Amino acid sequence: MKRRKIVMLILGVVLAVGVAVTLYIIKEYNRIHKDTADLKPDYSVSAANMLQEFQTEEQSSNKKYWDKVVQVDGVVKDVSKDEKGFYSVIMGESSSMSSVRCSMDSVHNKEAEGIQKGSPATIRGICAGFNADELLGSDIILVRCVVIPQK
Amino acid sequence: MKNLVLLLLATAFLAIGSEAQKYFTKNCKINFDATSASSPERIEGVNKTVTCVVDSKTGNIQFSALMKGFEFERALMEEHFNENYVESDKFPKAEFKGAVANNEKVNYAKDGTYTVTVKGKLTMHGETKEVETEGKITIQGGKISALADFNVLLSDYKISIPGLVADKVSKTAKISVACSLEPLKG
Repeated sequence: MKRRKIVMLILGVVLAVGVAVTLYIIKEYNRIHKDTADLKPDYSVSAANMLQEFQTEEQSSNKKYWDKVVQVDGVVKDVSKDEKGFYSVIMGESSSMSSVRCSMDSVHNKEAEGIQKGSPATIRGICAGFNADELLGSDIILVRCVVIPQK
Repeated sequence: MKNLVLLLLATAFLAIGSEAQKYFTKNCKINFDATSASSPERIEGVNKTVTCVVDSKTGNIQFSALMKGFEFERALMEEHFNENYVESDKFPKAEFKGAVANNEKVNYAKDGTYTVTVKGKLTMHGETKEVETEGKITIQGGKISALADFNVLLSDYKISIPGLVADKVSKTAKISVACSLEPLKG
């Protein structure tokens, strides 16, 4: 009798663990990206300073910012829209060829509509890296961006 | 004298006509599709931040894509893509340097659509391989629209697919390129 109880108990535990692991796998499998608006920035920096960092120390800046949530504030150089209607907010000094290019998150895309060239803006996104280019100007790329409303 | 003036004018026009015009974009879109035939779900990522430059005079084309810019719907898929497959922390950029093989057939000054052959070297995951693809170039209103679809064998770029997901992830990835380029000023 006692032995049977122990076996049942063990089976129960194994079953419970099995269910828990299965649920976890299903949850992990279906996990979607957290909304950037809900993520706390790892860094808050001005576009000018971030560009300066990458231009002087590309390798260490990459280590610092790559795959991190960065909140960038600065002046909007341009707002560009691709053929599918996805916006990119481009920040930086108009005198420089280099910019911080913020590719809007598809869910938050419309937030870029009201942004005016020359106005200040704060954008939060995931840093995808630095695209060094002598001809076109080197850019920092942020993806899944959201607009943080100016206070 | 008149002949000299005409000759000078002709030379001037020729000089303007043959001036290299570069076209560029910084939001070219590249689709990476590695869905295998037997997969129940799509293995597909999109990068909307690709840089492209086209030199209309030489037909030279260059692309530059940050691997971390490829967005996948499922976070786990994107993490696997970056951490296990393309190892984007070690190889953050993919580049293509090539040219339009029959560039002289393309009249960049006039509206029109051309089927072209593009040949060049693709560097991805630290490996460089020759790639050749057909593409479509459309000139309209002084802008260029470029489209191309081609396949890459992932093993060519030392991208290994674990046996566990071999039935989902195809050994060949379909790359689709769609760009809208504008003249580069100055």
